[in-house]
Amino acid sequence: MTFDWPTALPLIFAGLMGLAILIYVILDGFDLGIGILFAASADSEQDTMIAAIGPFWDANETWLVLAVGLLLVAFPMAHGTILSALYLPVFVLLVGLILRGVAFDFRAKVPAGKKQRWNRIFFIGSATASLAQGYMLGVYVLGLDVGLGGMAFGALVALCLSAAYAAMGSAWLIYKTEGDLQRKAVRWLRTTLVLTALGMVAVSLATPLASPRIFDKWFLWPEILYLSPLPIVSALLFLWLWRQTFHLPKPDDRHSILPFLTLAAIFALGFAGLAWSFYPYVVPDRLTIWQAASAPESLAFILVGTVVVLPIIIFYSFYAYRVFGGKATDLTYD
Amino acid sequence: MDPLILSRIQFGANISFHILFPAITIALGWVLLFFKLRYNATGDSAWMRAYFTWVKVFALSFAMGVVSGVTMSFQFGTNWPGYMETVGNIAGPLLAYEVLTAFFLEAAFLGIMLFGFRRVSNRIHTLATVLVAGGTTVSAFWIIALNSWMQTPAGFEMIDGKAHALDWWAVIFNPSMPYRLVHMLLASGLTVSFLITGLSALRYLYGDRSESMWKALRTGVFTAAILIPIQIFAGDQHGLNTLAHQPQKIAAMEANWNTDPNVPLVLFALPDEAAKENRFEVTIPDGASLVLRHSASGVVPGLNDYPGNHPPVFPVFWGFRIMVGTGILMLIVSWLAAFFLKRRHSLPKPLALLMVPMTISGWVATLAGWYTTEIGRQPWLVTGVLKTADAVGPVPGSHVALTLAIYLILYLLLLIAYLGVLVHLALKAAKDGDASPLPGVMNAAMSQPAAGE
Repeated sequence: MTFDWPTALPLIFAGLMGLAILIYVILDGFDLGIGILFAASADSEQDTMIAAIGPFWDANETWLVLAVGLLLVAFPMAHGTILSALYLPVFVLLVGLILRGVAFDFRAKVPAGKKQRWNRIFFIGSATASLAQGYMLGVYVLGLDVGLGGMAFGALVALCLSAAYAAMGSAWLIYKTEGDLQRKAVRWLRTTLVLTALGMVAVSLATPLASPRIFDKWFLWPEILYLSPLPIVSALLFLWLWRQTFHLPKPDDRHSILPFLTLAAIFALGFAGLAWSFYPYVVPDRLTIWQAASAPESLAFILVGTVVVLPIIIFYSFYAYRVFGGKATDLTYD
Repeated sequence: MDPLILSRIQFGANISFHILFPAITIALGWVLLFFKLRYNATGDSAWMRAYFTWVKVFALSFAMGVVSGVTMSFQFGTNWPGYMETVGNIAGPLLAYEVLTAFFLEAAFLGIMLFGFRRVSNRIHTLATVLVAGGTTVSAFWIIALNSWMQTPAGFEMIDGKAHALDWWAVIFNPSMPYRLVHMLLASGLTVSFLITGLSALRYLYGDRSESMWKALRTGVFTAAILIPIQIFAGDQHGLNTLAHQPQKIAAMEANWNTDPNVPLVLFALPDEAAKENRFEVTIPDGASLVLRHSASGVVPGLNDYPGNHPPVFPVFWGFRIMVGTGILMLIVSWLAAFFLKRRHSLPKPLALLMVPMTISGWVATLAGWYTTEIGRQPWLVTGVLKTADAVGPVPGSHVALTLAIYLILYLLLLIAYLGVLVHLALKAAKDGDASPLPGVMNAAMSQPAAGE
């Protein structure tokens, strides 16, 4: 294959979009998850939980804007098709994101008596947004099927993705907190892991069964051999993490970030599996990335900026995480 | 109901709600930097108190802007797929550059700006403030570039019904872009000056005479007094630019039905589009010719030149008048207040009472101005390229109506909560006065030198 830009550019942008979605799911996953865990936490713990995500959530959510932006910019045809088909779930997602986003700020600034109300709104918004994302994922893997079966499957994935986010949130709390809250987070992690695993199995089975094309991509020899590490490594990581939850927290709080990184790795593996299934389609079995792509001169113009700016973004995001490293204490405006 | 009109109302509601918050954050970032630099230079802790009061307003406004902005990025696809399909090659990169160069910058450094004062050096904290303020402005730059391109498209060619960029420089710096950008940045400056002035006046009325209140009040009043004449001049230049590139918009703004010399300036009227005339007209003879052509016999374009191709007259006419009227009120109030603060070193109570409702005058003028220019572009979505009616998606009207109703309720509640918190923050600051705890004093072990004390 010779290298030519009109072929390469949509591929590069599909990769960038995938990267943005993966980073979004991992980063906003933990702060959405902490919102879900609000339902199970005591009032006294909630300020610490917010402090563990307060400085980061804005930047985390920006990855969603980038992912949707790249879909919009690089694959305008697909943007319209996918988002019109998912009109109502997208709307629910947006309302959820609006509610939780503003609750972050309102809960800290309203008179003390009204704080509880915004805590509840924060939970409701986080849960709604997570459920909507899961539902959309479920419907998408079935090829944007919105029949009754598709909806039921969407509901299952919605539940499991929310549990997966809650697991991410628990793992983040293990890293960022100490004492009772940290021990509580370990128990949360154990519970939510079960549903996370169930969800991954459900999506992994449904995707090939819903589409013969995807089935063939996975279960023909020799592909099945090359691809087998993906599910095997995922399963091993799950088992290892499950066992870990009985030994956490470690003495001196060693390696407290490991559960989070393990979950992130599991997410990345699952995401790689999905990417393999759907490539080269951006709308399952309807539009390939080349059919949906913008004009090469537009993609080239964006690519120039992306190549320069993306490393800078990643660099200063790391910097921001480092500034707020260590255990979360009560967040104060200073 | 008709999905087209419902989708338009929905988009209008979303973007109206959204613009309220960038209109604040764009300029408030720079005001915060000013507070910070004054503190760095003088070591006076009152500046830092003003900073911490207003950084909370900034954080809240930023959050409201982010969440409503996320909604906008989805709306293009859900309601207006025809837009990206036709001009996606132009609009896409401009939006992408906004996210890449501005949005991430703001979001990442906002955390440090809000919560990092004790965790980073003072210099890094100042730098974070610079980057956030710069980020909001760069963000405005890209969005205004795209909006202006939709008003006065340039630097592209149409191939198979799709816009392709020929010259990115011409696309970005299209004919109306510099005027609109300056007009919007000044509008943001005025919105923030009156916000600060109004809430400080509220503190003043509640008996707060603290140094941080005076510092914020003076900053607000003097900024407004300086910016408003500049804005009036910039707005006039923007109008002349519109006259050159979108004469039908000017004709609607002036409710001028026939192209003629010696056109009067209509101060008040109820334009009647069916009869093609104005009712209850109050006019200044030759006024419009003088303003637009700088000569009493200057020819002003009329709506008769654009049959079926001009915007609805009533909203454009009144949007413009509300904006200009608010601007004149801003001029009077800010100059009066500046006079009293400068010469008498006091603030008369009636003036303070007038300043409190003026807190949201910037919002009124900004919205009225955007309604004028956006409705003034109709029936086009992209002038001469794409009609609004051709871009709407296949979503059923009932879905749009349902989501619209929920959005409207949600926005109304959020707006009430937002304004409630602003008043709450102002009254709390009024109560604490100069006794409010200063960050950096509370946790000595981690702190920087206790802010100036």
